[in-house]
Amino acid sequence: MTALADVLSQRASERAQARAQLAEPPLILPGARGADLALRIITPLWTARRAWRFLFIVPLLLTGLFVVAMGVTLVQGIGAWGNNIPVAWAFGITNFVWWIGIGHAGTFISAFLLLLNQEWRNSINRLAEAMTLFALVNAGVFPILHLGRPWLAYWLIPYPATTGVWPNFLSSLPWDVAAITTYFTVSLLFWYTGLVPDLATARDAAPTRLRRQIYGIFALGWRGSGDAWRQHRIMYALLAGLATPLVISVHSIVSLDFSITQLPGWHSTIFPPFFVAGAIYSGFAMVLMLLIPVRRFFGWEDIITERHLDLCARLLLTTGLMVAYSYLCETFLAWYGGDPFERYALITNRAVGPYRWVVAAMMGCNLLVPQLLWWRRLRRSPLTLFIAATLIWAGMWCERFTIIVASLSRDFVPANWQTFHPSWVDISLLTGSIGLFALLFLAFLRWVPAVSISEMQAQQARSSGDARHG
Amino acid sequence: MPPLNSDAVRQIAADLSRRDFLALLGASMALAGVTGCVREPDEPVYPYVHPPDAGAGTDLHFATAMALDGYATGLVVRSVGGRPIKIEGNPLHPASHGAAGALHQASLLGLYDPARARAATTNGRTLNWSAALRSFSLPALRQLAGQRGAGVCLVLDPTASPVTAFLLARLRTALPDATVHFHHTIESATVLDATRMAFGQPLLPLVDLSNAATIVAIGADPLASGPWHLRHARDFGARQRSIGRVQLHVAETSPSPTGSLASNRLAAAPSVLSSVALALLDRVARQQGVAAVRVAPVTLTSMAAAWVDAAAADLLAHRRASVVVAGDQAPQDVHLAVTLLNALLDNAGHTVRYVPSPLLDAGDRSHRADVLAERLGDGGTSALIITASNPVYTAPFDLPFAAPCQRATQSLYLGDYHDETAAVTQTFLPHAHYLESWGAERAYNGVISPVQPLIAPMWSGHTVDELLAALSGDARSGLALLKACCPAAATADALRRGIVDSTEAPSHATTIRWSALPVLAPPALPRSHTIEVAFPAGGVHDGRFSGNAWLQELPDPTTKLTWDNALLLGSGTAARLGVSNGDVLELRVDRATITAPALIVPGHAEDSGSLSLGYGRRGPGTRARLIGASTAPLRRAASPFTTESVQCVVTGQQHTLAVTQQHWSIAGRASELIAGAPAKALPAPLYHGTPPGHDGFGADQWAMTIDLDLCTGCSACVVACQAENNIPVVGKTGVLHSREMHWMRIARYTGDNGNAISQPMLCQHCEDAPCEYVCPVNATVHSDDGLNEMVYNRCVGTRFCSNNCPYKVRRFNWVNYHEEMTPVDELLNNPDVTVRARGVMEKCTFCVQRLRTAQERSALAGAPRTGPVVTACQQSCPTGAIIFGSLTNPDDAVAASAADPRAFRALDSLGTRPRVHYLTRRKDPA
Repeated sequence: MTALADVLSQRASERAQARAQLAEPPLILPGARGADLALRIITPLWTARRAWRFLFIVPLLLTGLFVVAMGVTLVQGIGAWGNNIPVAWAFGITNFVWWIGIGHAGTFISAFLLLLNQEWRNSINRLAEAMTLFALVNAGVFPILHLGRPWLAYWLIPYPATTGVWPNFLSSLPWDVAAITTYFTVSLLFWYTGLVPDLATARDAAPTRLRRQIYGIFALGWRGSGDAWRQHRIMYALLAGLATPLVISVHSIVSLDFSITQLPGWHSTIFPPFFVAGAIYSGFAMVLMLLIPVRRFFGWEDIITERHLDLCARLLLTTGLMVAYSYLCETFLAWYGGDPFERYALITNRAVGPYRWVVAAMMGCNLLVPQLLWWRRLRRSPLTLFIAATLIWAGMWCERFTIIVASLSRDFVPANWQTFHPSWVDISLLTGSIGLFALLFLAFLRWVPAVSISEMQAQQARSSGDARHG
Repeated sequence: MPPLNSDAVRQIAADLSRRDFLALLGASMALAGVTGCVREPDEPVYPYVHPPDAGAGTDLHFATAMALDGYATGLVVRSVGGRPIKIEGNPLHPASHGAAGALHQASLLGLYDPARARAATTNGRTLNWSAALRSFSLPALRQLAGQRGAGVCLVLDPTASPVTAFLLARLRTALPDATVHFHHTIESATVLDATRMAFGQPLLPLVDLSNAATIVAIGADPLASGPWHLRHARDFGARQRSIGRVQLHVAETSPSPTGSLASNRLAAAPSVLSSVALALLDRVARQQGVAAVRVAPVTLTSMAAAWVDAAAADLLAHRRASVVVAGDQAPQDVHLAVTLLNALLDNAGHTVRYVPSPLLDAGDRSHRADVLAERLGDGGTSALIITASNPVYTAPFDLPFAAPCQRATQSLYLGDYHDETAAVTQTFLPHAHYLESWGAERAYNGVISPVQPLIAPMWSGHTVDELLAALSGDARSGLALLKACCPAAATADALRRGIVDSTEAPSHATTIRWSALPVLAPPALPRSHTIEVAFPAGGVHDGRFSGNAWLQELPDPTTKLTWDNALLLGSGTAARLGVSNGDVLELRVDRATITAPALIVPGHAEDSGSLSLGYGRRGPGTRARLIGASTAPLRRAASPFTTESVQCVVTGQQHTLAVTQQHWSIAGRASELIAGAPAKALPAPLYHGTPPGHDGFGADQWAMTIDLDLCTGCSACVVACQAENNIPVVGKTGVLHSREMHWMRIARYTGDNGNAISQPMLCQHCEDAPCEYVCPVNATVHSDDGLNEMVYNRCVGTRFCSNNCPYKVRRFNWVNYHEEMTPVDELLNNPDVTVRARGVMEKCTFCVQRLRTAQERSALAGAPRTGPVVTACQQSCPTGAIIFGSLTNPDDAVAASAADPRAFRALDSLGTRPRVHYLTRRKDPA
């Protein structure tokens, strides 16, 4: 009997040990608690190190390149790009879809997770929302830039023109315009609404009069009264409610730019969910790419903890599996459907066509790399995670490129088959848009509280309250 | 085909000639700053008090003729506001029957070429015509070159012009010892030598394909090249349409348009072609029991023997209804064998007639290159007068022109450009374009056509006739010379109809002089480690069109190569040499070398290569400078179109070739694209006539059919479309970017054995058009009469429509292609068609401007449309493969054609309901 009791107690202690091992560390480490949290987030706004200036050099140069490439495109026409017939869409739309997809993670984190009461989002939602906003700035540039006559882009907007001609609502593009402008507006409002109390904190803490004035203007006279807080919370929840369906709808509409056509490789009912999953996938990859250096640079490892990274990585893995399922589905159905054009576009052309290396990169980055994230140790290793996220981020660009360019380059009539080669302008626009993103993001880190102070404090208040009453 | 305007003819009779009117227009252009040149009006200029015809903006059509290699093709030229803007074939002319080839149509661009020479010069000094000719007056020539003109040497293009004949005879009387030479560049006189050997007199075979059930072509492309090819194609098309598939046996070196239609095709090196011709002759003679034909034993490969078997069987089964043809560039033994074959098969008098050549001095010494070489080399030339087109460039290696030009005391060149020949001659005179000239020309069968100008000479050019007259002291203009030398061609009737009646060459009764024939032996086979190189005419002919951007950018019917020539090789030879597309080869004969990139062509003969003429211009005065490889160093005057024993050395360099099609395989899609299931009865049109109160265009339902059994891929339609619809050229870089703007592309699919099928691909005007619903701004919409319309000024350029077009027939203005047009270039534009700006999509409109004109005319007349409406491509198609019209109009042939059991719609399974039907081939070549 004693032996049995020993065994049982041993088992119990083993289980307890295992539980202890599995038990999550707290979301925010003890060092990040207390009143100095606000100080730690605010102070970098006026105690920048010299290194800051050097960080701006490369993004500024790339942004300059972006501006030059845009100028060349506007002056010369789309001829400055490598596009051709049949590949009438190439880098421009690839970049558009990629950037807008990246934007999705921010809204997912800030709105979706807010409604689901996932408190861990509070450490990273400001960064993620900023990322969304800047990704959308880039995403908005390309559809206009890619027009043959960009100065007439407003014709896609339904307005009562004297010509009496309305946009064609059968086309997905006017809906695209509506979706993107809505998304940008809501994202901006959501981000700014959340920011107002923190701007007020910055105003109150700012060392110089000029800074106080600037932050004061943007803080919209926030005094932190109970009434204001109540209204703020209602507004914030409303915006979250508005933004949440957009996470699903925007990329669904973008995917219709492809699936309403009859081009093999585009013509697919799976596209809306597939695009949404891919969007959140690429977005979380970029969130991780930003979080990991930021927490290190500011020494915020206790605010944005390994637990945050772990949670993001799990979402990355989940959406990665959804994307993998979509690839599988797409390929299987192309074969199972038996349509020779579909089979060629989705199987033969991808396996042995001129863009097989892009397809291979896409498969490697998007299917194989996320499988690393099954291991908890790798999920919590910032370096591994950073590399994996970067690969997935690039892999998702390859996916957009594969869908758009590889499908277009070889469609129905073999005599029309041609390959696309990017011009220097194409490459400049891609790298330039990354540069512009980096520039905007650095400016954000430099002048805006990068972690939501108010929400962090509220979370702490709630958790300490829980502790007292618990 | 609008009727020729009779008012235009009355002008000729009246003293106020139209030329005066045009000269005035030209002068007003000069005032408008189009030209900075000094103009010398050679005739008094009066304005019209009452302009002829309906007034400004009305288009007029004039009949004229264009001579190429001496033979005329009758044309009808459309003129708007005094500007010729479109060239069509003359339905009354025997060499055209309404069709026009790519060269004829593109010659229009040459008229407006800003690079054309604009002024006469002597040793670099700009002079006027009479001053430049001062040292070439008769007294001056007599003083310089002897009283009888022994030192005078004239080099002309081969010509059949009765005016030139008269003037040349007069000049020869004045200078009896002067020598006259005709410089051939594209065809040779071997056929005349062969018929002289067979019949005792030099005669031309005049082939009538309208009665031929079996055609055997040896080294020939009868449907797409040569002076009579349009007529061949017309007759072939009519026959194929009415009777059914003609048995076509083709043995050739490089795949040709004719070869693409062959039921039995053999790829053979030039020397093997001679053996094949002799073997066929031997076989037919033995079968007929004719012992008089003596052929030395010929060894053939099994493939060649099989070809000979099939061809002989078909020929013997169709005596009197078959024909054997050899190409213009074929050697004499092939021509002889072909002549004998036609005699053995009793074809002479049925499918082939023999007529004297219309060329001046045909068969004479003056046509021989060796005689010319001797004359140029003897040093006795003190006055060298050249009117041939750029002989310094076109002449083969051992016929050097440059040195004699420089050696001559006086040299004169009448040319279109300041080219290689102008660079070595002292006096240069600008040549008038034929659309600026008065004259007369003869067709291959001898029929005389007047040449009448559509515009006053833009750059003070003069004709060969005017020069020859001036040399003998006659300062009359081209019109006066025409009236004097060939009054029959200057009558109102001749000018209206474009032909002079009863001028056809009479057929000669022929008998073969069997006893005089030698034993026919095939040529020795060339050394094994070398290749034979054939030099066919290129897309720019002999180089005279090398500055013509339409022709440079026109994809070669076979290789789809643009802006270049390349050494075409069969895949086996390429593998043996270890080269792939674009690898630069050094070709060596004796000590002469050239470099040319390789291009592998399925169906090309092994152990041989083809390098087209007309490229590699090195001289000044052409936009085509440095494009492609010059063939001259490899060619010898004795056999100018083939050179044996050419050594190929791989240089390791690369040259980028702008080929418009990357694949020849149809990728297993034949059933969807070229051999679709027969179209079921047309579904009820989605567009039903005119809604009440609408524009009234709905009564017609436009549609087109294209017969793949008749399309040779010759690409005349592509140029026709380009000219009609103001389609820009994009240059080699543009082609490399796959941005050609042609609204009509000819897809070519090749089987394993080199057989090919050409499929013209243009906007299919789908009733359920995929492009329309994706356009966000309603810029592409459907008309009530079934046209897929493009609203240029509404287009914002998303290019979504192109992505959703399964046929990929939409073209995008990537940059502002018309930005570089000079004011002279702009004269070319068709005023009925919008010149598209940067950033908008465009595509085939079914020539909507022609449809609307016809509909407006019928609306104004208050009567239903009478007569067919033709699209530009349909109008030019030599075989008549394209049929267009309204499905609802019983007079239009298209409804019946679309109901043909062979009719199918491309990619029909997509449900796009195209309005273009293809008629599949009766027998699949693959």
